[in-house]
Amino acid sequence: MLLFQSEEWIDKWCERNSLERGEVLTINQVWELSKLWYQDRLSVDYHGRNTEQIAEVFKQAGLRSAFWYV
Amino acid sequence: MNDTRLWQVRQFVYNHFADTTQPPSLEDAAKHFNITKEEASEYYKELHNLHAFLLDLETMTIRMANPFSGFPTDFKVHANGKTYYANCAWDMLGIPVALHSDAIIEAVCTESNDTVQLEIKDGQNTNYDLLIHFPLPFARWYDDLVFT
Repeated sequence: MLLFQSEEWIDKWCERNSLERGEVLTINQVWELSKLWYQDRLSVDYHGRNTEQIAEVFKQAGLRSAFWYV
Repeated sequence: MNDTRLWQVRQFVYNHFADTTQPPSLEDAAKHFNITKEEASEYYKELHNLHAFLLDLETMTIRMANPFSGFPTDFKVHANGKTYYANCAWDMLGIPVALHSDAIIEAVCTESNDTVQLEIKDGQNTNYDLLIHFPLPFARWYDDLVFT
C-alpha cells in the first residue's frame, strides 16, 4: 500500500506503471482500519483471522465495496 | 509439531521485532526454546504457510511479520526510543497500534518522492492530508505479498 500526497500523484503513478487504479483511502480511514487490524497483533492469543473475522473488520472500518470482499 | 509451541514461536518472533526492531534468526529461536535449528526451521515454515509471517525460504530469514519489516523501507517508525521499518503505508500506522505507543513516522510519498512526517499521539493521527492507495482488492492480497 503506497502513500501519496494527492489524487493527481496517484493518477501519475498508475499511468506510469500501466496499472488500474485500486482503492484510495484517506490516512484517517487507514488509521481506523489499523486500530481494528493490528491492536492484538502482539498477543499470544492472536492466531490470525478467518474470512468471517476479516469481513467483520472491514465492515467495522466502513469498507463495504466489492474491493473489500473476502 | 507441538501446536502450543507453534504459537509461542510466533509470539517470540513478534516480541523480538518489538524489542529489537529486527526479526529473530533460526538460531535465536532455537536457543530461546532449547530446540534444534532444524526444529525451529519447521516451526518457521509452518507459520509461513499459515501467513503468520513471510519467510524468505532460500535464506530462512523473516521478510515481513506485518506490520514489521525485516528490511529497511521508505516507512520509518520511531517509537519507544527505537526505529522500526514498516512494510507499507498501512503498516506504518499499524506499528504504533501493535505497540500501543505514540510514534513519529517518516515516510516517502510515492511518485513525488517527498518525505513527510506524521505524529501519532494519544491514539490520534496528526496529519490528515495524505492518501493511501491499495492497488489490489483483498481477494488478491496473498497472490504476491511483496507487491501488495
